[in-house]
Amino acid sequence: MASIARKNLFEDIPRFLVAQAGIVFAVSLVTIQVGILRGFTRGTALLIDQSKADIWVGSADMVQMELTSPLPLEQLLQARKVPGVALAEALVVSSSRWRTPDKTVPPTKRITPVRIFGFNPKGQLFAPEPITQGSLSALTEPYTVIVDESNQQSLNLKQLGAVGTIASLKAKLVGTTQGTQSIASSTYIFTSLESAKAYAQSGISPEVNCRLQDGNIRCNSNYDITSTAIGVDNLTPPVPEKLSATDPISYILVKATPNQNLKTLKQALEKALPGTRAFTRLEMAQQTRDFWQKRTGVGFVLGLGATVGVIVGMVIVSQILYSSVSDHLKEFGTLKAMGASDWVIYGVILEQALWMAVLGYIPGILLCLGLGSWTLATQGIIILITPLTAGGVLLVTVSMCIGSALFAIQKVTHVDPAIVFKA
Amino acid sequence: MTASSLDLTRLSEHLPTEAPLLAERTFPLDIGRYHTDAIVTRGVEMVFQNGSEQFQALKGIDLDVHIGDIQLLMGPSGSGKTTLLSILAGILTPTAGSVNLLGREITSMSREQLAKFRLKNIGFIFQGFNLFPALTAQENVELALRVKGMPAKAVRQEARFLLDQVGLSAQAKQLPRDLSGGQKQRVAIARALAGNPRLIMADEPTAALDSQNGHAVIELLRRLAKESGRTVLMVTHDPRIMDVADRVVYLEDGMLKA
Ligand SMILES: Nc1ncnc2c1ncn2[C@@H]1O[C@H](COP(=O)(O)OP(=O)(O)OP(=O)(O)O)[C@@H](O)[C@H]1O
Ligand SMILES: [Mg+2]
Repeated sequence: MASIARKNLFEDIPRFLVAQAGIVFAVSLVTIQVGILRGFTRGTALLIDQSKADIWVGSADMVQMELTSPLPLEQLLQARKVPGVALAEALVVSSSRWRTPDKTVPPTKRITPVRIFGFNPKGQLFAPEPITQGSLSALTEPYTVIVDESNQQSLNLKQLGAVGTIASLKAKLVGTTQGTQSIASSTYIFTSLESAKAYAQSGISPEVNCRLQDGNIRCNSNYDITSTAIGVDNLTPPVPEKLSATDPISYILVKATPNQNLKTLKQALEKALPGTRAFTRLEMAQQTRDFWQKRTGVGFVLGLGATVGVIVGMVIVSQILYSSVSDHLKEFGTLKAMGASDWVIYGVILEQALWMAVLGYIPGILLCLGLGSWTLATQGIIILITPLTAGGVLLVTVSMCIGSALFAIQKVTHVDPAIVFKA
Repeated sequence: MTASSLDLTRLSEHLPTEAPLLAERTFPLDIGRYHTDAIVTRGVEMVFQNGSEQFQALKGIDLDVHIGDIQLLMGPSGSGKTTLLSILAGILTPTAGSVNLLGREITSMSREQLAKFRLKNIGFIFQGFNLFPALTAQENVELALRVKGMPAKAVRQEARFLLDQVGLSAQAKQLPRDLSGGQKQRVAIARALAGNPRLIMADEPTAALDSQNGHAVIELLRRLAKESGRTVLMVTHDPRIMDVADRVVYLEDGMLKA
């Protein structure tokens, strides 16, 4: 048996295509907004999720992963003595400035703010994943870094072995990761604890050379003169020092002994290490995500975008369904006159709405998947479309179309079957 | 009106409303004894309310239509023919009076009951054909069969059979826009016959057709009515139809003229 819903829909192909374009647009808008929000929130705490630490110990005034006060390394040593701690490792999070020595790069693209993660590459509790080129263990060599693939271009690190400088020290690329960068943050740089300490201590301030010339004092910054930092060319930088007990670190990552109650361990750690707070991995990730979503308003803005998408979609679908129903009102009247129950007619309209939903959803999602891989490759922005997101958007699309159908059904409910006799 | 038909009217009035329909009885030889009118109306009035203005379109209609008859309803424009037909078909509820179809009082039925009754017992033919433009001739008939509850498997064959009855087997796969007016009306007739209803109600079925097509449609209606004992109630201006009609009533200014 022919489906009137489908036939009505395909009766006028150009009109159908215009209508579907509207739905594809709405589906894409919702998917992209939700995908960016999900990619964003996942990205802001991805490194925490990936860590193997049961507990993150940070300063008592820690706001989120990248915003905290330092702890002395000495506390790491104390933490190792707390009963229930199987393993404790240090993590340093600091910020600095990246500079490429490549003269062919336009001047306005040479420096980049960076967020440095210093950790023990031979440790077990922290590591960015996945490593797509090079290896994590290569970080044991001094002044080496791993960056996310999406940042290779902006850092001008075209291939492994390429160099740049952090503050005034060289940094050689020995590996890449994928999908680790949070779009809310500066460019992530992964390095060893020792290199991180060296980068932190080298400082950004350049030496300034001044001399008297024609009665005026003329000053030049060191960068302008040499354009190179220590170690980039032939100068060998000092081997970075091991961390000492007074050196600042950001977090103590703790692996608990098997069957250890984490709540008890948290309390024990906080007691043993004054001025600190201990979080389970989940709590730490949640705290960080909440910060970005709520305190920065990013979540709100993206949520607003998704809501607008749903509303736009509803308006478009309602309009299309409503005008389609209006166009076929006489046919629905005929069905009513024949004695068809209202449900037969509702069925036709709902089926039409479902077809519109499905035929708008599939190209919409495909478009977003394509767009997502493009933005990831070129912008480093993840539009995260998990099966859950995709399923959620399908649900939204279908309910959007059904909602619109209910609106259009109003019109048929009130149609007088007597119209069938009007010529 | 003859005395005997009056008696029969009274008989039909005394039948319980849930009495089995004639078609469901299995004693055709006794048909004379159980003969009832297909349509009986008493004192039907229709007042349209347009804001504060009232318009009385029907003023006390008493009408009896015999089973198996082709009954014409004629009259000048605006006399209330379509209004009366809509009421007799259970599409419009009269403001006063009673309508009895096939022995059942429809004026006391709920909207849903009425719809079910129409679905089972009445086939419609419209001046403007009212075919579904997106569906082929075959699909238009199939749709009616499906709506009337025929199992999906049987629908295709039955639709073919009905199209064959109206001489349109060759056009089964064509869309209404590719059919002539006469062909469209024949598709509509095939659709009206779907589910084998006992009453056919037609509003000016030939008004949109040229004389040749009009003739073909009239001849078809006559044949279908006479072959199967269906009752046909037809509103028309078309004097040609009078040749095939069993009875004709005239409506003028909302009242029947003998
Ligand atoms: N819904 C309505 N509201 C108000 N007045 C109505 C309505 N329907 C019909 N009428 C009026 O009732 C009268 C009878 O209308 P009806 O359509 O039954 O006439 P008709 O005999 O079928 O005419 P025609 O031959 O032109 O089709 C007309 O005066 C019309 O204006
Ligand atoms: Mg009329």
